[in-house]
Amino acid sequence: MKVQVGAEIPELVKHPTTRQLVQYAGAQGDFYEIHYDQPYAKSVGLPGVILHGLLKAAFLGELVTDWLGDDGTLQTFEVSYRGVDMPGHPYRCRGRVTRVEGKEVELEVWGEDESGKRTTVGTATVHMRA
Amino acid sequence: MITTAEAIDRIKTRIGVEGPAVTAPVESGHVRRFAEAIGDPNPRWEKEAPPTFLVALAPVSLHLSDAEEYGQGWLNGGNRFEYFAAVMVGDLITAKGRVVDVYDKAGSSGNLLFIIFETDYTNQRGEKVARLRGTAIRR
Repeated sequence: MKVQVGAEIPELVKHPTTRQLVQYAGAQGDFYEIHYDQPYAKSVGLPGVILHGLLKAAFLGELVTDWLGDDGTLQTFEVSYRGVDMPGHPYRCRGRVTRVEGKEVELEVWGEDESGKRTTVGTATVHMRA
Repeated sequence: MITTAEAIDRIKTRIGVEGPAVTAPVESGHVRRFAEAIGDPNPRWEKEAPPTFLVALAPVSLHLSDAEEYGQGWLNGGNRFEYFAAVMVGDLITAKGRVVDVYDKAGSSGNLLFIIFETDYTNQRGEKVARLRGTAIRR
């Protein structure tokens, strides 16, 4: 695989639903009510139920592993959550190569809401095989 | 309700203290349900755990009841995974976590309390497979 600094990797658009939040809550074992209980979420000042930060991290993980395939291994994966996202809206995951040093490649990854605001930003480093 | 300074004082006494180890098997059904929940159809996850799966094996934060006496809710500030070996279906993973830092910051509607957690994951052969760092924010 040819990797060049500045190159964007193929984007991934996810369509999270309230159903998916419940599914994720069960699969992760995170039953914090802000992810499925609308009145509770509003009672703590949120606009409604919101996506788990770790679900957005998983979306970005999929973005990176889809791109990487068997060409290398993930070394580090770091994400910061900068804003809340609601189900029912598409979530666009993107990434760009920021550094190539021999077999070590660094990517900037981020998730955008419908307005293009980066509500999750992060970095992945990978070790390429060949 | 307590202040962030009081919460910080209480949580600071636990910095570096290991929580109880949690050991859990990486079950194929659990990995499949996790992959379905995140909507990742990659067949690779039939044998291997996806990058964020480790958070589903053990609680990723500790000592939160003290912090819950402050503020009205939790936010996840961020996560950092460092990988040393693949986590495969059939592995038996042991997670050991600790608080590594606690501090506050002024937010737009009052102080925010930040608690940094770290969890180390080892497999059944004693190999370290990953380290997770997480920032829990109480607001």
